[in-house]
Amino acid sequence: MSLVASLLIALVALVAVGPAMAQQGVSETEIVLGCSNSFSGPLAYTGEQATRYGVDLYFKALNDAGGINGRKVRTVYYDDGYKPQEAVANTRKLVEQDKIFAVIAPQGTAPVAATLEYLEENKVPLLFPFQGSPITRGKKYVFSGMTLYDRQSKMMVDYLVGQRKFKTFAVLYQDDDYGKAFLTAYEKDLARHNLKIAAAEPVKRGVTDVSAQIAKLRAASPQVTFLVLTPGPGAQALKERQKIGWTDTVMVSSGPLTDEKYLGLAGDAAEGVEGLSLWPDPLTSDLPGVKAYRAAMQKYFDKNEPNRYSLSGYVAAMLFGEGAKRAGRTLTRETLIGALENVKGFDSGILPPLTIGADHETQKQGFWVRVEQGRFKQLTDWLKSD
Amino acid sequence: MSLRRVWPLVALAALAVWPWVAPRYFVFLASLVLVNVVVAIGLNLLSGYTNQLSFGHAGFLAVGAYVAALTTIHAPAVPVVVTLLIAGAFTAAVGLAFGVPCLRLGGLYLSMATLAFGFVITEAILNLDTLTKGADGLRVPAARLGGWPLSSDTTRYYLTAVVAVLLVAAAVNLVRTRPGRAFLALRESEIAAQASGIPVALYKTAAFGVSAFYTGVAGGLFAFVVGFLSPDAFDVFLSVDFVVMIIVGGLGSVPGSIIGAAVVTVLYDWLAAFQNYRPLIFGTILIACMLFMPGGIVRALEPLSRRT
Repeated sequence: MSLVASLLIALVALVAVGPAMAQQGVSETEIVLGCSNSFSGPLAYTGEQATRYGVDLYFKALNDAGGINGRKVRTVYYDDGYKPQEAVANTRKLVEQDKIFAVIAPQGTAPVAATLEYLEENKVPLLFPFQGSPITRGKKYVFSGMTLYDRQSKMMVDYLVGQRKFKTFAVLYQDDDYGKAFLTAYEKDLARHNLKIAAAEPVKRGVTDVSAQIAKLRAASPQVTFLVLTPGPGAQALKERQKIGWTDTVMVSSGPLTDEKYLGLAGDAAEGVEGLSLWPDPLTSDLPGVKAYRAAMQKYFDKNEPNRYSLSGYVAAMLFGEGAKRAGRTLTRETLIGALENVKGFDSGILPPLTIGADHETQKQGFWVRVEQGRFKQLTDWLKSD
Repeated sequence: MSLRRVWPLVALAALAVWPWVAPRYFVFLASLVLVNVVVAIGLNLLSGYTNQLSFGHAGFLAVGAYVAALTTIHAPAVPVVVTLLIAGAFTAAVGLAFGVPCLRLGGLYLSMATLAFGFVITEAILNLDTLTKGADGLRVPAARLGGWPLSSDTTRYYLTAVVAVLLVAAAVNLVRTRPGRAFLALRESEIAAQASGIPVALYKTAAFGVSAFYTGVAGGLFAFVVGFLSPDAFDVFLSVDFVVMIIVGGLGSVPGSIIGAAVVTVLYDWLAAFQNYRPLIFGTILIACMLFMPGGIVRALEPLSRRT
C-alpha cells in the first residue's frame, strides 16, 4: 500500500517538474497552438469551420511548404459548447497540460471574456478571437480579430448618413453585451451627425418570436432599421417584416450577422437587406488570397464548402504565421507580440492591407453589401473606421 | 486499526499534500472534483436517501454560485466562510420553498418539476440582468479570508478541500442519526415510514432543504474556483451529469457520491479531446454501469473490501 502510494507520488512529482524548456510550446521542430471552441452547442458549425477547416487549413498548406522558420505548427482543440466554465477548464488544460505557445481563434464573447484574465496573468498570447466586443482592448497579450463593434458602427452610420443621406434610425438588438455594445455605439455615432435613434427594441437571447418588437419599430417609421441579432432571430425579424408588409424601411444587419446562414434561414424575405460585411465572399471573390484559400480547401478538404468562418480562421492562422516569421528563430511570446505590433501594411490578399500597431487591433474595415437573388452583392469599396 | 478507520486518514493526507505533488492543472481539476463531491452528496441525500430524483440541481448550484459572487462583489469585506454560509442558506430557503409544493408530487412528476425548476433558474438569471449581467456573464472576484485574498490555485484548492471534508463528515454523521434513518425509511416505503410514526412531509421537505444547502455551498465554491459565471454553465445537461455521478457511484451512499463525482469529473476531462464523441462515450458508460453494476461502483467494490 505505502509502496504504491510513494511510487504514485514520485511519478506525479516527475510529471510536475518536467523538462525545462526555453519557451513553452516552441521546440526545435514544432510550434503548438490551440483553443477552446464550440464543437457542440449553438455555434458548433462556426467553431468547427474556423478551427479544423480554417486555422488548420492554412497550417496544413504552410507545413507542407516547410513551416515557419523550420518549425511545423500543430494545433490542439477542446470543446466548450459555448459554456464559459468549460472554456476556462479547457484553456487551463491547454496552457498547463498541453503546454501551448498561444491561444488562437477561440469563439464567443462570454467564453473569451471568461479566460481573458487568466491568459493575461499567465502571459499567454490570445490571438484573434472570433468576437467583436471591445473587452479585448488594452490587454498586453491580446490581439483582436474581427473588426470591433464600435468601429463597425462608425462605418455603418457614416456611410448611411454621409452617402445615403438617411435621417431616421431604429434598432432591434439582442439584449446582451453584443447588442448593447452596438446600441451605445450607434447612439454615439448618430450624435456626431446630430441625429438620434427613433426607436430601439431589445430581444432576449434565445427568443424567436419578434413580432411585437417589429410592430413597435414600424410605428416609429424609421428609414433604416438596424438588426443586431444572431442568425435565428435575425431571419425571424425579416420574415415578420415580410408578413406584415413593412416595405418603407431599409433593414441593415450588423457585421457578425451578415452571413450565409442568416440568408439561408430568411429565404426570400432577405431580398434587399443591406449590411456590413467583414470578409469578401468566400465563394465568388476574385481576390488572390481568396482564390488561394479556395484552392487549399479543394486540395485538403474537398468535401467542405468554402465559407466565411473557415476564411476567418484561415486569416487568423496567416497572421500568426506572419508574426512568427518576423519574430525569427528565437520565437518567444514576447518576440511574437513585438513582431505583431510591427506589422505594417501586410497584404493577405483577402483583406485590405493590415497594420496592427500598439492598439492590437487587426481588422478595422468592412464593406457594404445588399442581398440580391439570395447572395451578398458588394456595393462599396472597403470603408474606413479610423 | 481497522481498514475502515485507515481510509479516511489516507484520504485526508492525500488531500493535504496534493497541491505540493500534483501539476498545476490537476490542482484545479481536484478543486472541481471536490465541488462536484459536495453537489453529489447533496443530491444523494435527496435522491438516494429519500428517493426524490432531481433533475434540477444545476439550478440550485446556480443560485449558490450567483449569491456567493454577488455577495463578494457588493460586500468584499465579508469573509469567505460567511459568504459560503449565505450562499448555502439562501439556496436552502429556495429549496424549502420549492420542496413544499413538490410534496404532492412523486416519481416521474417530481422529476419533471425539478427539470422545470432548472429552466426557471437560468431564465431568471437571464432576466435579472441588472443584477446578474444576464447572458454576458459575471466575473467573480477572489474570495477573501480576513484580509487575505484567496487568489492562487492552491489557496482555492484548500478552501474547497476544507469545506468538502467538513460537509462529508456532516453527511456521514447525518445518515447515522434519527433523521438519516428516517430518510432511508422514506426511500424503502413512504407508507411503512408513516405507519412507524415518521412525519413524512417534514422529512421530505427537510431533505430538499439540506440537499439545496449542500448544493448552494458547492455553488459558492464553484464560483470562486472557475472565476466566471454565466447562465449557459447551468443547463439541464449539468443536472443530468450530477444524476450520473450518484448513479455511477452508488445511490444512497456517501462514499458512492465521492467516487461517482471523482470518476465522472475526471472522465469528463479526459474526454475533452474527443469532442463530438463525448456524449456517446458517456452514454455508453452509463448504460453499462446500470446493466452490470446497478448499485454503482461502491456496491461493486463491496465484496472486495469484505475479503480484506
